[in-house]
Amino acid sequence: MNFWFGLLIGLKEISSHKFRSFLTMLGIILGVSSLLSMFALTEGLARGMKEMLYTSGGMERVEVALKDPSEQFQELAFLSPGRTMEDANALRKGAPLVDLVSPELSMGMAVTRSNKTLRIGVTGGEPEVLEMGRLKIEFGRPITRTDLDRVSRVVVIGPSVVDELWPERPGYIPLGEVIRLNGIPYQVVGVLEYEESSFSKRRREAGLDAARAAQQMKRLGKVDKKYDPLVGKNRAIIIPITTMFYDFRSASNPDLSPNRKLDRLCFRVADLALFEETINQVRTVLDRTHRGIDDFGFDTREEWADAIERNVSNSRTTGGLIAGISLLVGGIGITNIMLASITERIREIGVRRAIGARQRDIFIQIVVESGVIGFIGGILGLVVALGLVRILVMLSPAQNTAVITFPAVLISFGFAVGIGVISGLYPAWKASTLDPIEALRYG
Amino acid sequence: MALVEINDIRKIYRVGDQEIAALDGVTLSIESGEFLAIIGPSGSGKSTLMHLLGCLDTPTSGRLVIDGVDVSRASNNELSAMRNAKIGFVFQSFNLLPKFDVFRNVELPMVYAGVSSKVRRERAMEAIERVGLMNRLHNTPLQLSGGQCQRVAIARAIVNNPKIVFADEPTGNLDSHTGEAILNLFRELAESGRTIVIVTHDNTIAARLPRRIEMCDGRIRDDVEAPTSNTTPLVAVPKEVTAL
Repeated sequence: MNFWFGLLIGLKEISSHKFRSFLTMLGIILGVSSLLSMFALTEGLARGMKEMLYTSGGMERVEVALKDPSEQFQELAFLSPGRTMEDANALRKGAPLVDLVSPELSMGMAVTRSNKTLRIGVTGGEPEVLEMGRLKIEFGRPITRTDLDRVSRVVVIGPSVVDELWPERPGYIPLGEVIRLNGIPYQVVGVLEYEESSFSKRRREAGLDAARAAQQMKRLGKVDKKYDPLVGKNRAIIIPITTMFYDFRSASNPDLSPNRKLDRLCFRVADLALFEETINQVRTVLDRTHRGIDDFGFDTREEWADAIERNVSNSRTTGGLIAGISLLVGGIGITNIMLASITERIREIGVRRAIGARQRDIFIQIVVESGVIGFIGGILGLVVALGLVRILVMLSPAQNTAVITFPAVLISFGFAVGIGVISGLYPAWKASTLDPIEALRYG
Repeated sequence: MALVEINDIRKIYRVGDQEIAALDGVTLSIESGEFLAIIGPSGSGKSTLMHLLGCLDTPTSGRLVIDGVDVSRASNNELSAMRNAKIGFVFQSFNLLPKFDVFRNVELPMVYAGVSSKVRRERAMEAIERVGLMNRLHNTPLQLSGGQCQRVAIARAIVNNPKIVFADEPTGNLDSHTGEAILNLFRELAESGRTIVIVTHDNTIAARLPRRIEMCDGRIRDDVEAPTSNTTPLVAVPKEVTAL
């Protein structure tokens, strides 16, 4: 008896009991669709978190953070100048494993254009600040070295800032316009590209009107701030770091001396494989500029990345377990129906044995039958899951909408067929070990 | 050597702590081409004997040789192979697969024999033609009359060219005319050289066969050869009945 004949018999059995077969498959359908939806949800979760990590600079980005010096240096802490431009320059010269250094200042300021005033954080940076923050210029030009040298009053602004300052002119490109930062006039020389999370992009492309409205609102910077890491990017205002020093920091210490400290110092690791070595190199360089006082630490994304992995694998395990239970229930349903089905067909089995079917042939027939139930249930389950995930994408308020991946489809489907086959094993064994004489006499 | 040789066969069933001897020392031989009846009241052991001869079961003791193969200690798989290749069964209640049409039912033994689908088709057609059902090829058993069903069963029994065909009360579920027609079909098969064993409790059927083995209490009580009855049927059968 060959496999195809078994398949034919299986299909025939299923089609002659359509409703019963459908009920049997229901367990598998639900199991597969919940398994696949779970995979899709965790995948979406992982992507959302990774996107957040990426938009904020990725794993390569490390921030030099201030910390309290250790016990033995407490008394000497005043000797350290803190994070200064010296650190940035020293890193550029002395740390070849670092490929980008970005010293930054930041201040909350009143940003004014005619009668509109916003309170926004302004960043003073060097040209590297754009690359470090993965920001792109859409119109105009970025901050340049010349701007730094000439201490120019030029500013690069994010698209949401444009929308907020020129609300009456949607789509306006305000190159050459002058805005005031804390009253000092700055010329707009560049506008950043609008950044959209892949989530809202998907929703927009799915043609969801509500989503488009939400996105419009987001461009105006009024909603969803706590969910969208990109709001900060779209509302960025960047001026040359030197200009920031002279205009806003020159007399900001209590004794009216200039405050030379940086508010932020980031660097980028050239090669993630040499992450530890790079950190050590940076530590050596900064130990020199900080005169041996360990008043700095490193704010890395490693832990963040680890947390993502951990979260994803946790929710995958939990979700998998739950979906697995529903698949198991589906499998028990198949076993039950197959047992009923062979009881119905004891005589048929006897006839088959009498005309020469071996035990193995009967076994294969029953297993193929339940495998076919699993197979069809699996396919239907995938279809249901596709619909379910579409609904989830539409409804989900969070960043982490479901994403279906090919391996997830493969695994869910494989499980369905596997469960189908496994649930057929016991009924098949029972059917194949029937005594042919008893079976012929039955009924 | 005879087609079937059995020697002092015993079959003992255990029911609770009681031992029941369904067969109690049976010795018998059947030559190739014989047409014979095994008769006896219920409980006489005739069914058990047929099960052993038909390789559905193995004896508790004794020797059983079919077509030169000793099957008295054969394994389950060996018995299946014997049934498939050398034995055909016809049952009282036809035992066709209700979801398969005539062609698929007749084809089934060859599927288990691993015959290619082209050859299966040829041989199934041959067998169906032999029993006169070419016009019912794609009907399912539910659409056929009892007589037609039994013809399908006979076609199925002979399709693998078995050495011996067992028929267990083949006319039991049929009216007398149709039963006659089926018996005549068996007779024709026997005349073309096939070995056929009919198991029945009906003496009028058994009386018309060339050889009659009478069972009682697990033993052979009588083994009668009636050489004359082979030549002409005792009852004239109208043409339209044979055409069923």
